[in-house]
Amino acid sequence: MTLVHNWHLGRRMEYPYFESRPKRQFAAVFNINRCIACQTCTMACKSAWTYNKGQEFMWWNNVETKPYGGYPQSWDVKTLRLIDSDNNVWYTDDKDEKLSPYGVYEGDTIFETAARKNLNQWAVGYVPEDKEWRAPNFGEDVAVSKKQDEFSTLPEHSRWFFYLQRLCNHCTYPGCLAACPRKAIYKRKEDGIVLIDQKRCRGYRKCVEQCPYKKPMYRGLTRISEKCIACYPRIEGKDPLTEGRPMETRCMAACVGQIRLQGFLDDNPKNPVTWLIRHAKVALPLYPQFGTEPNIYYIPPRWAPRSYLKQMFGPGVDEAIDKFMVPSRELLAVMSLFRMTQSIIFEYAIEQGPKVFETVIHGKKFEMFNDTVIGYGEDGKEIVRTTVEEPIHVRDPKHYNSI
Amino acid sequence: MKRSYKLVKRFGLALLSCALLSSATAVYAEETAPGVKGMSEEEFTPAKEVLTVKYVDVKKPYHMDVDSLKGSFQDATGITVPLQMQDKAFPNGGGSIQGAEVKAIHDGITIYFQITWNDPTRNAQAIAIQEYRDAVALMFPLGAVEITPAEHFSPRMGDREKPVNLWHWKSDWEADLLVKGELEDVEERYPNMHDDFNTNPYSPYYHRDLITSIAVLSGGRAADNLISRPGRGRTVEDLNAEGFGTLTTQEHQDVNGCSKFEDGAWTVIIYRSLITQDPHDVQFVPGGKTFFNMAVWNGAEQDRNGQKNISTQWHPAVLEKVAWQ
Ligand code: SF4
Ligand code: SF4
Ligand code: SF4
Repeated sequence: MTLVHNWHLGRRMEYPYFESRPKRQFAAVFNINRCIACQTCTMACKSAWTYNKGQEFMWWNNVETKPYGGYPQSWDVKTLRLIDSDNNVWYTDDKDEKLSPYGVYEGDTIFETAARKNLNQWAVGYVPEDKEWRAPNFGEDVAVSKKQDEFSTLPEHSRWFFYLQRLCNHCTYPGCLAACPRKAIYKRKEDGIVLIDQKRCRGYRKCVEQCPYKKPMYRGLTRISEKCIACYPRIEGKDPLTEGRPMETRCMAACVGQIRLQGFLDDNPKNPVTWLIRHAKVALPLYPQFGTEPNIYYIPPRWAPRSYLKQMFGPGVDEAIDKFMVPSRELLAVMSLFRMTQSIIFEYAIEQGPKVFETVIHGKKFEMFNDTVIGYGEDGKEIVRTTVEEPIHVRDPKHYNSI
Repeated sequence: MKRSYKLVKRFGLALLSCALLSSATAVYAEETAPGVKGMSEEEFTPAKEVLTVKYVDVKKPYHMDVDSLKGSFQDATGITVPLQMQDKAFPNGGGSIQGAEVKAIHDGITIYFQITWNDPTRNAQAIAIQEYRDAVALMFPLGAVEITPAEHFSPRMGDREKPVNLWHWKSDWEADLLVKGELEDVEERYPNMHDDFNTNPYSPYYHRDLITSIAVLSGGRAADNLISRPGRGRTVEDLNAEGFGTLTTQEHQDVNGCSKFEDGAWTVIIYRSLITQDPHDVQFVPGGKTFFNMAVWNGAEQDRNGQKNISTQWHPAVLEKVAWQ
């Protein structure tokens, strides 16, 4: 094992390979608060990549209802048990913006648990059986029903559920990649996308076993494993629609609830994805304690119990929800970029507009400005321009009845 | 790992990394590569018992199967190869099968190895995610090498610049040969998988053309992975390796085999012509000596890859001269 720095954990951790970060990392921000579980994302992926034989059970993108739903069933509870979930202890008195923005995780990751228990493999894990993959929407819309008051009120509802949108996290320290005894899994230097080499894979299912998020899947037809490919032809700008510019993935572009923004995590503070994750800190990694440094980031649902959310998203939850509930002028502007274009936005700029609204939210003053936010592509060209107040378009009376 | 980070914070990250580093070195000191433990001297010493590859006029049957070859093996003397869990390279595993009996014959043209081992369950399908195949592999050093304790040649997957040739028989490949198209399809396991795993094979929702037409979405087939390819025409994969994690399917496949599962025991016969044109293949000369090693996978115990039952020593094998030599 070598020691690598995992900024989610705020410390170094053991991993079989040296730290080798990509030039820029495929990443996305999902605003859980807005998801309507329409599964359009799920079907967008399915109709692009997994409609073939032997892939019937595969949902590279899936949306599950928490806390009861899970695809495969109970994947997170089972993995948390393997790393001893009571280990989820964080030291948060002292933070470093760059190295430990959420504090320091004191428990063991999937890699460290395997080493501590002398399991003679790289990480703890399990292979879910076929029946566990079968009903991807088990538990849909089932709420935790603790009847205390007549009405649920914020900050925590006593009856609650929320939707969790999941795909491969294209982790910085992938469990799947560590687990593969053949090195058939690789992480691309140019964008951090993690892929299974379909020629080298021999169907050992070690990746299925040791990915804590259960995103590699075994295909009986080819007897080898497959996983989300981050729609890499789109990321590479191969789709003619965006004229060679990097394009967001199918599941991102299709999002009806406009909850998703995908791009790259890099060092540019004016990159919307980087800004939301590293500077505004409203979006958090999923189960950071697993130790893989996952790259899909979530704005946690403001109504769910904080203890549950902290187990799921780490100690940054309170800060993220506070910032989301009373958004800053900049946050509001950046959030207006969600789903305004299919081209990947590399940088944004804000042009200030007039104040249009003012109120008090949870005792805090909130002002809304109708700022204009502009998104630029990789080439620095403007690709999108929108305002905080959604523009209203009035249809010409001539077309009132046309569809 | 559980330790107080308050202390660490006070003394800075340097202390933390030192602490981690030292614990890491302590635990992995005996590793020769990440996740690979060093080998003992014993393992570099070949076994004493020599397998005689008996010269027999085999009269190759038209249909190669275990029963028709049975007579040819009658007078061959076998050796028992002890097996144990694989405990050197991550992931470790195996240990459910203690040994196998190996016999070998040749007729001056083809060499046949017969391997017999006890396994209470026949696992000959790897379509469901939780199902793994039974398998056996033979391994030979590539080229003419004399293996002695002085001349280290790893009995486990070979080593850099010490390549090995492996013959990997797979129970599911044998089952594949018996079905139309020579690949057991997902329907063999799930008659109606496209329709929520229901068991009605006549569902009106099944659009065979759509579902099976686009080979490019079968990654393994598009990449021409032998494991995914229908109609392989063989049950044994011909491979090379130069150490752990380097196993590679050969471009040219030369080995075949047949099997029988009866009364809780597998009998597998693996055969190949003594000489091939392929520089990546081991070559056999009547009257000559070679070495082999082997491993057995027990599907019921989730054996696959390095999770297997292995022999930790090379075994010498001497080919009898042919009658006219
Ligand atoms: S398309 Fe968007 S809103 Fe609909 S389920 Fe997916 S993430 Fe949620
Ligand atoms: S989410 Fe799983 S499959 Fe994806 S990169 Fe991380 S460990 Fe690998
Ligand atoms: S990124 Fe592409 S391949 Fe991955 S889940 Fe989304 S649509 Fe599917």
